Amino acid sequence: MSLLKLVGVSKIYQLDGVSVKAVEKASLEIKKGEFVAIMGPSGSGKSTLMHLAGCLDTPSSGKVYLKGKNISNLNEAELARIRNKEIGFVFQSFNLIPRIKAIDNVSLPLIYAGVNYENRIKRAIRALEKVGLKERIQHLPNQLSGGEQQRVAIARALINHPEIIFADEPTGNLDTKSGDQVMKILKDLNQKGHTIILVTHEQEIADFAQRTIKIRDGKIE
Amino acid sequence: MINFSETTGLALTALKANKVRSFLTMLGIVIGVSSVILLLAIGSGLKNYITQQLADLGSDTIFVMPGNINIGEGGGGGTPGAGVSLPKFTENHLTKIRTKVKSIKYIMPYIESNANLSYKSKAYITQLSGVGPEYPQARNQAVSRGSFFTNSQVNSSKRVVVLGIDVVEELFEDQDPIGKKITISDQRYTVIGVLEEKGGFGGVSYDNLAYAPWTTVLDQNEMDNIQSFWIVAGSAGEVNQTKEEVEAVLLEDLDEEDFSLLDTKSLLDTISSILSVLTAALGGIAAISLLVGGIGIMNIMLVSVTERTREIGLRKAVGATPQEILLQFLTEAVVFSVCGGLIGIGLGIGGALIINRFIQTTVTLWSVALSFGVSSLVGIIFGVAPAAKASRLDPIRALRYE
Repeated sequence: MSLLKLVGVSKIYQLDGVSVKAVEKASLEIKKGEFVAIMGPSGSGKSTLMHLAGCLDTPSSGKVYLKGKNISNLNEAELARIRNKEIGFVFQSFNLIPRIKAIDNVSLPLIYAGVNYENRIKRAIRALEKVGLKERIQHLPNQLSGGEQQRVAIARALINHPEIIFADEPTGNLDTKSGDQVMKILKDLNQKGHTIILVTHEQEIADFAQRTIKIRDGKIE
Repeated sequence: MINFSETTGLALTALKANKVRSFLTMLGIVIGVSSVILLLAIGSGLKNYITQQLADLGSDTIFVMPGNINIGEGGGGGTPGAGVSLPKFTENHLTKIRTKVKSIKYIMPYIESNANLSYKSKAYITQLSGVGPEYPQARNQAVSRGSFFTNSQVNSSKRVVVLGIDVVEELFEDQDPIGKKITISDQRYTVIGVLEEKGGFGGVSYDNLAYAPWTTVLDQNEMDNIQSFWIVAGSAGEVNQTKEEVEAVLLEDLDEEDFSLLDTKSLLDTISSILSVLTAALGGIAAISLLVGGIGIMNIMLVSVTERTREIGLRKAVGATPQEILLQFLTEAVVFSVCGGLIGIGLGIGGALIINRFIQTTVTLWSVALSFGVSSLVGIIFGVAPAAKASRLDPIRALRYE
């Protein structure tokens, strides 16, 4: 059974009165435990595709199924609940909250899952251990290197045991060495059973995945 | 849905991250709340003091004043300066009232004049009041040493004087003043008594006055007419009847415009209502600063929402609903106003206690509750717009915001 399924999905934006088709009639299917790369040049619509698949956005037409459930017509609050439970995000620019410690950044999704403070801290420590940052839990983001910050972001993506982890250019702001480390962690997570969807424009990074979906001008090739 | 203590915790962390800014934002509310409490405390204190002073006189007291004073009749009439008119009362009136008005307990003339008191090398300028022997009883201020003058001393215009405690300290220091001769405006007077300490309010004191028989004061100042009468009715219930009777007697010789009858109750009512309006006006002006404080909160919250656009986008991406974001930012605004309100209450009460050393202040519970309630409400009202703005942000755009 497919974990995530997109059927004839289109997304049209209105820009200054002109309709722009960011994604056009895209269909794809991702099974549990897969490591998939969505690849394309900038402006190809790969980010929009990720937003649709990651429940950050709803399609203009077509249907998105997560675990067999149609999520195309849900409202913002319902989508937020699904993102909280089923999806973890890793962004190019880390997106950590600068004024709170690593451990509090990691436990953030659990606040909205209604987990109490003690359990949040326990689980955040475990998640930071998984990405090799046990010694850095009390550090603020600006006290960490880029690679460490991205590992904190991965721990945050993992913490609520999501079905899918989306990584949007996760190595884009990192040097080669930290980038490799981050990719190894993602590969490792995939081997432990996590489903990972990687968005990138770099072939080298896409090579970590088992399967690559190419997108150009909003269409899947 | 996340609970109340979680939201408050989040709000406090956010406020702590920008300590100086948070403090400055709160300052508007702090100043607003403390000044509302302080001004209302001064207003209530003043009112309590005056009520207390008039209560000393008793509710059965009537003053007969020269001129047409409309106070206490709710008319609000009387052109400015109408009260300033030369007294036309004579001894004849005194005798007439004494004989014709049966419901009075006593009547005594009350004359004010300025006098220069001196004893040996010391001098003291104060007010010399010409009164009758009933004064200590009427004023509710007993004689602590010596005695007050008698009816016969009044009738024979004796040069005797009774002093307030402050005058005694100025002129005699530690000496016993009783029996000593002092000079008042070139005339020799014998000190026969000292009045007990009464205190005062904002510089006005009853302890720095001197009292002589009214007949003596009339002579000394070469006055023909009596300035005013101080009447005490037989009982509080008879005040209105006594007023009518006194009025009837005076109208035999005088016009309506020549005199006014004031009783303590109507004076008290008038002063109370003036002070209430004044207090409300002062409180209202102070409340404007609460409004300004609220605008300050709104301003800083709007800045905060813009600054934290990416944070809001991220919170939404990891599962915060629009409602939860709204609640978080609304709570931050309310925490501002509540913290500001609490500090303001502290400062307001503290300030009132300090001012209380100089003039009487009374902090009322309702003024604390009112200003705290209004400040909290201000936080909610001015927090809604920024919080709604935050909750409506599109997570995708917010995450990309630079």
